[in-house]
Amino acid sequence: MTGPYDGTGRKVDSLAELARSIEPERDLWPTIEAGLGRVEAAAPAASDANLIPPRRRRARLTWLAAAAMLASVAVGVWIGRSVLPDVGVRAGVGRGGAGALATNPLPGFAAATDATTFDAAYVNDPRYQRERAALLRSLPARLEALPPPARAKVLASLATIRKAKQDLESALGKDPGNALLQELLVDTYQDEMRALTDVREASDAGRGV
Amino acid sequence: MRRACGMAVSLLALCASRMALARDDWTFDKTVAASARGVVDISNVAGSIEVSGWDRQEVSVHAVLGGEVERVDVSSEGGRTLVKVVLPSHTRGHGEAELHVQVPRESEVDVSAVSADIRLSGVLGVERLNAVSGDVTAELGNADVEAKTVSGELRLKGHGSAARLHISSVSGDVRLEHGAGDFEGSTVSGTLGVTLDSAGSIRARSTSGDVRLEAKLARGATVEATSVSGDVNVRASAEDGFSYEASSFSGDISDCFDVKAERAGQYMPGSRLQGTRGAGAGHVRIKTMSGDVQLCDRN
Repeated sequence: MTGPYDGTGRKVDSLAELARSIEPERDLWPTIEAGLGRVEAAAPAASDANLIPPRRRRARLTWLAAAAMLASVAVGVWIGRSVLPDVGVRAGVGRGGAGALATNPLPGFAAATDATTFDAAYVNDPRYQRERAALLRSLPARLEALPPPARAKVLASLATIRKAKQDLESALGKDPGNALLQELLVDTYQDEMRALTDVREASDAGRGV
Repeated sequence: MRRACGMAVSLLALCASRMALARDDWTFDKTVAASARGVVDISNVAGSIEVSGWDRQEVSVHAVLGGEVERVDVSSEGGRTLVKVVLPSHTRGHGEAELHVQVPRESEVDVSAVSADIRLSGVLGVERLNAVSGDVTAELGNADVEAKTVSGELRLKGHGSAARLHISSVSGDVRLEHGAGDFEGSTVSGTLGVTLDSAGSIRARSTSGDVRLEAKLARGATVEATSVSGDVNVRASAEDGFSYEASSFSGDISDCFDVKAERAGQYMPGSRLQGTRGAGAGHVRIKTMSGDVQLCDRN
């Protein structure tokens, strides 16, 4: 254990008893100077390697910035496509109506993966998504095979289902844990599958009859 | 001038040839032997299909056919009779036929139509009725029924014989009277109106249409009625009573036994009505998002 002793080995009781300065036993400067000289001699080579002309440095920074921007855009797109609800589809739905039906017979039914964060677990089931995607792909041709009055009614019913899904999702947005709404949403997805299957069977029957 | 005259003559010749090809309406009659409890398959694109049961072991077909109908195929083999109106491939389903088919009373019938209306009576076997835009009107027998339309209406009438009834339409209305047994019915935008003389299980669903259900429940019967935006009205009587649970997110809930619906939670939207009538042997469950709910324990 070290005690409170001064440089001479005498015990001190207060700071005032300590010497103001202590001279070194020898001149330390020559050693320090020699050390600095060695550092200076080594420095030019290293700094030469890091010395990049300002123009090249700017170009490198520009490339780095471009790469960072590209990466940010890619991450943004990925988040937009895989995490957030399909805003494009919803916007299309919002603009629905007779005009929209005329230009796009299946507004809001374009994407098989338009499942949102509120969708029930089974909606994300790959088999369900595959089957739904297949039904949606063939739907325009199936509708074409139906008699025009039936086609118009089916389109109206599909629009009804879409509206119901939107309403339920909107309500779930306000009350995400509501079991009743979740159940009704699942029912509505089932109704959609049933309607799509019925249309497929109906058009098959039309061909077979 | 000469060219114009030539074109006019060609046009007239074309019209004349088309007129010569077009036929007037014609009739078709054929009767074939059939099994008493066989299967009869009937299909027609447009016009109508009328099927009735009789006591002979024969299938008799009488048809009034439009000029565009090519032929009617009628064949019977191995307990299965086929009646099919055949159109030429170029008509795209515009040829109409009025089919009148008589089948052995206990036959199982399978009827398919596109825009033809279907009418069925006096058949006791299983009925499978499918139409795309045609309406279906049928008298139920003693056996199971599966009836489906895309946009047509379904009107079914039973005699209280228990069976499994599967009825659905995408946009048409569904109406069933005097059914019995297990019922499962759905429509997207049509109205679902059902009366059951005796029910074991009922599952009725609509997306935007109203659901009106009137039933006498057997002991332990289950009822599930659902709509997203349509109103649901259930009148169910049961000797052994039933427990009930009705919930709606934004619709009103009322009943005929003076029990008040409660809020789903202090800070939650929605209301709920639950309790038990009588011994509570059956179970009634109703749910809607925005549709109103009415529940009554007597018909």
